[in-house]
Amino acid sequence: MENFLKRLLRLIPVLIGISLIVFLMINLTPGDPVQIMLGDQFVTQEMEQTLREDMGLDLPIYQRFGRFLYNAAHGNFGRSFFHRRPVMDVILERLPATIELTLCSMLMAIFISIPLGVLAAVKKGTVYDRSSVVTAMIGVSMPGFWFGIILIILFSINLQWLPVSGRSTFSMSVPSVTGMLLIDTLLAGEIDSFFDAAKHLILPTITLGMAMGATLMQVTRASMMEVLKQDYILFAEAKGLKWFRVTFLHALKNALIPTITVAAIQTGQLLGGNMIIETIFGWPGVGSLVVQAIFNRNYPLVQAAVLIYVLVYVIMNFTADILYTVFNPRVRL
Amino acid sequence: MKKSVLMGLVFWSLFFFSTNLYAAGDDEILIGYTSDAISMDPANHRERTTETILRNMYDGLVVRNSKMEVVPQLAESWKQIDTLTYDFTLRKGIKFHNGDLLTAEDIKFTFDRIITDGAIDGQTSPRKSLLGSLKEIKILDSHKVRFILGEPWPVFPAFLPWQEVVSKNFASSVGNEGMSTNVNGTGPFKLVEWIRGNRIVMERFDDYYGGAASIKPVGKAKVKRVIWKIIPENASRVAALLSGEVDIINDVPTHSIKQIEKNANTKIMTVNGTRSYFLALNNTRPPFDNIKVRQAFYHAINIDLIIEKILNGNATRISSILSPDAFGHKTNLPEYEYNPQKAKKLLAEAGYADGISVTLDVTSNLKDLAEAFSANLSDVGIKAMVKVWEKSVIGPEWKKPVKTRDIFFTSWGNGSLDPVGIMTPTMRTAGRGNYSGYSNPEVDALIDKAMVEIDRAKRASYYQEVETILNKQIPVVFLWLPKEVYGVSNRLAGWQPKADNQINLHDAYIK
Repeated sequence: MENFLKRLLRLIPVLIGISLIVFLMINLTPGDPVQIMLGDQFVTQEMEQTLREDMGLDLPIYQRFGRFLYNAAHGNFGRSFFHRRPVMDVILERLPATIELTLCSMLMAIFISIPLGVLAAVKKGTVYDRSSVVTAMIGVSMPGFWFGIILIILFSINLQWLPVSGRSTFSMSVPSVTGMLLIDTLLAGEIDSFFDAAKHLILPTITLGMAMGATLMQVTRASMMEVLKQDYILFAEAKGLKWFRVTFLHALKNALIPTITVAAIQTGQLLGGNMIIETIFGWPGVGSLVVQAIFNRNYPLVQAAVLIYVLVYVIMNFTADILYTVFNPRVRL
Repeated sequence: MKKSVLMGLVFWSLFFFSTNLYAAGDDEILIGYTSDAISMDPANHRERTTETILRNMYDGLVVRNSKMEVVPQLAESWKQIDTLTYDFTLRKGIKFHNGDLLTAEDIKFTFDRIITDGAIDGQTSPRKSLLGSLKEIKILDSHKVRFILGEPWPVFPAFLPWQEVVSKNFASSVGNEGMSTNVNGTGPFKLVEWIRGNRIVMERFDDYYGGAASIKPVGKAKVKRVIWKIIPENASRVAALLSGEVDIINDVPTHSIKQIEKNANTKIMTVNGTRSYFLALNNTRPPFDNIKVRQAFYHAINIDLIIEKILNGNATRISSILSPDAFGHKTNLPEYEYNPQKAKKLLAEAGYADGISVTLDVTSNLKDLAEAFSANLSDVGIKAMVKVWEKSVIGPEWKKPVKTRDIFFTSWGNGSLDPVGIMTPTMRTAGRGNYSGYSNPEVDALIDKAMVEIDRAKRASYYQEVETILNKQIPVVFLWLPKEVYGVSNRLAGWQPKADNQINLHDAYIK
């Protein structure tokens, strides 16, 4: 528990450091939010100045950073330049969609890749092993934006099985409890709506989870092969234990440590991948919002979103550390 | 055991795929739209796409018809009393979605909220400058209001269609926060559901007063429901149209036009846009401070061929900055034909017989076109290196008062179709969009005179004079006006694209 608190405290300088870097990066990037917002619409100089003051951009940069830190410490992340509402409201509206997509992709990646990785290691050198290695290779190297569009062309336009974009069709609406449609629809007992939401999830989930799944499979396979060479495995086999028990209980448990590490890092990366996938599939999450915000130089929104990303990343790593202790009691936090 | 698992799997997947994809009904229209509304408050945003969505739920005092003329909508009529005063008479019996009747109080409230500094929770409406010098709104009686300007601004009516009327009582009860998510307008549709970034669902307002009296058909909306699906990615938006998921998509990429035309259930609809494309040449330093070099550039580029081959014919050539539909547009301006020989001759006369080396700045979406220019230019000995930029970086760079770069391939939109919206910013000295650094006291004087001239004929003649000068001096190479391209399903009827990019669904229905 003490260690846990220490780790939490260590988070504070990390967050401040990241805020500083992000603040400087986005503020020093060329581009003027006021000009972008006004585009080529009719405007007077006076109006331009009013807008600049509204956005707080009339102050020098060090004052703006001070103000940002002070407000952030008080839980106020400012107003989105374009939405003209508190940034956190805008982000939180979109967050459940991103969490749902990320979780589904993560679960898909884990539940498919680990068994496949184990099998590939056990059946090392066979056709099965080689073909899964090649598939993983393709999975890692295929760009998401391309793969997503190929899936849309195949399953949405040609076969017409799955929808092109969005989270749900109009006909469904359920009370929002968690904001995650798969759970909300089940809570409301609407099975049709559940399937509707699931259908919308399939293509983005596959596209987003593909690279992670492929990487996890490669890692699992490699570490499984390492473990299977160990003496205690030989011993377990010699004792006459069943194949299943040896592979999945004795070997896999030890082989999972690197997989967990990679899974944690990859889940953080899913958040980044989200930006592209959400844009392709019109998924109303934080990713597509941030992409827009970056192009518009919507400083407060980008700053707040990055802080949330960092927080998720840190939490994922922390979870991975806890999982180590579960799978390998010799590891202590 | 294994067999039963397999059977189960087959059963469930059959069930899963057998529940049909949502097919749009006969009483609803789906639009695949590039971006979500950023707010439901018509006074607190400055985005054309947001306005397009809101305009289906909020009506204005005036509106533009399909010919882009400004006609009364909530107003019955309006009269200009003098250079500073406009009187508007409201139609009677117009209801807001909540049943309240529209009165002069609502008009005053709407406009006060926009022009008063800090009126929206300390923020000033970003739409304020669209009302120019509007100073005060007076209520004359329950259905008559007077708009008083601070100084003459003859384009006031041309800019007025950009403002939508809100209800005073409603705005006071929900507050500014509430206005950003709730809608109580006088428009043909009511807001039913807004899922951020995903969709906006609207339903017919059955007590609608019918809309602008001069735009037929008058009456309530034809379809019961309108659903805006937000699909930012081009390929996905086209895919949604092709698979029958939506009925209208905006902003069709040029390379998808043929695909949509080939599909049996979809077609392409176009309309002249209001955005003028041009090559801004840096007039403030060599080589483009020399008028002959600028003219040589014009002759060197094969504009007609580029329109035909790269833009698939979806653009109209322009010889000045104004669209052919704009107020004051001068017809029969001489066109600079494609003539490489003449270009070479002009360059030699200007003292650049050995050629010129310049950089052509462009945003990534226009790269193909810039490369075509570059190829044309190299034929006459001009080496134009194409440099691709992010829009939010290069735009502000060229907007700086001191111009340090060579050529900028860009555009300027003009939804007002009045020269004030495009000629003033791009051609007047130090204008916001005067990328080329062009400065001509004669042009400035004419533009300033026209800005406050009330007589329409005189005003138009000033602008035509400017156009003649511009056509001779070529501060920028005037290129074309692209058509706005929409993909539309064949089951849709009663809808026409509009030059101002708005998608008005009042008259649209499903065949």
